[in-house]
Amino acid sequence: MTFGRRHLRAVSRWIWAPRYAFNVLAYCFRCWRGRAVAWLATAAAIGAVLSLAAGSELFLVLSERSLNQQVRSASELQVFLNDDAQQAQVDQLKSRIAAQPGVRSVAYRSKAEALRLARRNSTLANIADSTAANPFPASLVVNLENPSAAGSVATLAAQDPAADHDVPASYTPAQGKQLSAFLSMAQAVVVGVAVAALAVASLVALVLLRSEIRARRAELRILTLVGTPRPVIRFPVFVEAVALGVAGSVVASLALSYVGDHVVPAVNQYLPFLQLGSAAAAVQIISLTTLVSSVLALGVCSLLVRLPR
Amino acid sequence: MGGPNDSNVVGAPGSIQLRNVTAGYGQTQVFSNFDLHINPGEFVYLVGPSGSGKSTLLRILYGTVRAQEGWVLVDGIAVHRLQDWQTDTIRRRVGCVFQTYELLGHLTSLENVLLPLQLAHPRMRHARNYATEALELVGLKEKLHELPGTLSGGQQQRVAVARAIAHQPRVLLADEPTGNVDKDASGEIMELFGQLNEQMGSTVVMATHDEFVLGRYPARAIRLQPGALEVAS
Repeated sequence: MTFGRRHLRAVSRWIWAPRYAFNVLAYCFRCWRGRAVAWLATAAAIGAVLSLAAGSELFLVLSERSLNQQVRSASELQVFLNDDAQQAQVDQLKSRIAAQPGVRSVAYRSKAEALRLARRNSTLANIADSTAANPFPASLVVNLENPSAAGSVATLAAQDPAADHDVPASYTPAQGKQLSAFLSMAQAVVVGVAVAALAVASLVALVLLRSEIRARRAELRILTLVGTPRPVIRFPVFVEAVALGVAGSVVASLALSYVGDHVVPAVNQYLPFLQLGSAAAAVQIISLTTLVSSVLALGVCSLLVRLPR
Repeated sequence: MGGPNDSNVVGAPGSIQLRNVTAGYGQTQVFSNFDLHINPGEFVYLVGPSGSGKSTLLRILYGTVRAQEGWVLVDGIAVHRLQDWQTDTIRRRVGCVFQTYELLGHLTSLENVLLPLQLAHPRMRHARNYATEALELVGLKEKLHELPGTLSGGQQQRVAVARAIAHQPRVLLADEPTGNVDKDASGEIMELFGQLNEQMGSTVVMATHDEFVLGRYPARAIRLQPGALEVAS
């Protein structure tokens, strides 16, 4: 009985809370309804800015991915063998290269096989056909996991007696480093542009939000004067800002989906050398990033609004 | 000096005490080291020429302007100690009629009175009834759903009065509440303040230079001069 009464008292003590929550939410809705047109215009503007940022980011991500794939597919390094090299020397060099970090596999290619491949290559076919002797050396075909490993393999080959002294490898160490550096730079550019695009989009969104808040300054002052708790005054501003972020991100996601479904396939069809591939995964990741970053930026900004004493 | 702090609320409910208060705006000092005591349930006028500090004194009591030195107690709250984010504690307890009405233009009369009750008084039940009663009391029963823009200056002032008294505060501050209304409306507002003061025991502090009001509704008057404080009955 006492237990029941205690619970009843606890319930009656907190019974005002849902009513108050309803009043605050009703106030939020009323604030929003009174400025619905301005809010929609702001949301559309933020959506357009985020769409532009997200669209450019999509093409950058796809281009970087394509470049990455092309570089990785080109990560086949040949160590040219000396014609006088003994089989034991070749085997030793093969196992030393296979032990290098970043090397996926090593395979032996004979002079005959090299000639056969050269005849299929439009650039080398003339050389292959014009000479009676086979000018193409035997080689070890090294498949690299990481293009940056090309430098160490080429250095190793240059010091080994089994390798050709004049041209030990298809890549020089410097070329390997260049390739690796170029790939890292491309990735850094993508990340940098992504951050810059989101920063610019957030900045534009913040400017739009600030003008929204300026328009409500008198209202916020009056609510402060009549004793409304500050968190309650800030709440509708926060909700509106977050809603702006969500609405803008939805617009950007729709635009991004359209680009991913229609524009990217068209680019793939008309410019096949770009090899942009499927945009589905990138669209999902960029949409999510845009949503999270815009909601965070606008939400935090709305909390920084200074209220009068 | 040993002034009171937040955890040690002193002073009788409804009383107002100021001790060695210095206040102003930036480099300009409006008050310097002045004391004031108003008893619970007292009706007090603040009178004086423009620039004498009537509005500033009310703002100090309401927590809008912070005293640079000294301490200010209103209804047992140490207002001088309140940080910006704490000012709602005094404003929930005190009613204030502002010189410029401070009504929200997009809300009706009823909503202007109801919204502060709903947002600043979470535990208040039947807030709509209180708001309606307050508006009926100031004679605006027929104007509940009118926007402030469609009301006359006097009617807007009465909405502001209704908002200030709707939660039946123990202290009511009013800055020239009869400044923009005719004699009849002035009389109605003063009757209302008198009623609140006599029947509910609310302390009323009213800034005015309305000779009609001062002559017809006599009470203790605190005369302010620029840079000086003179008290006269």
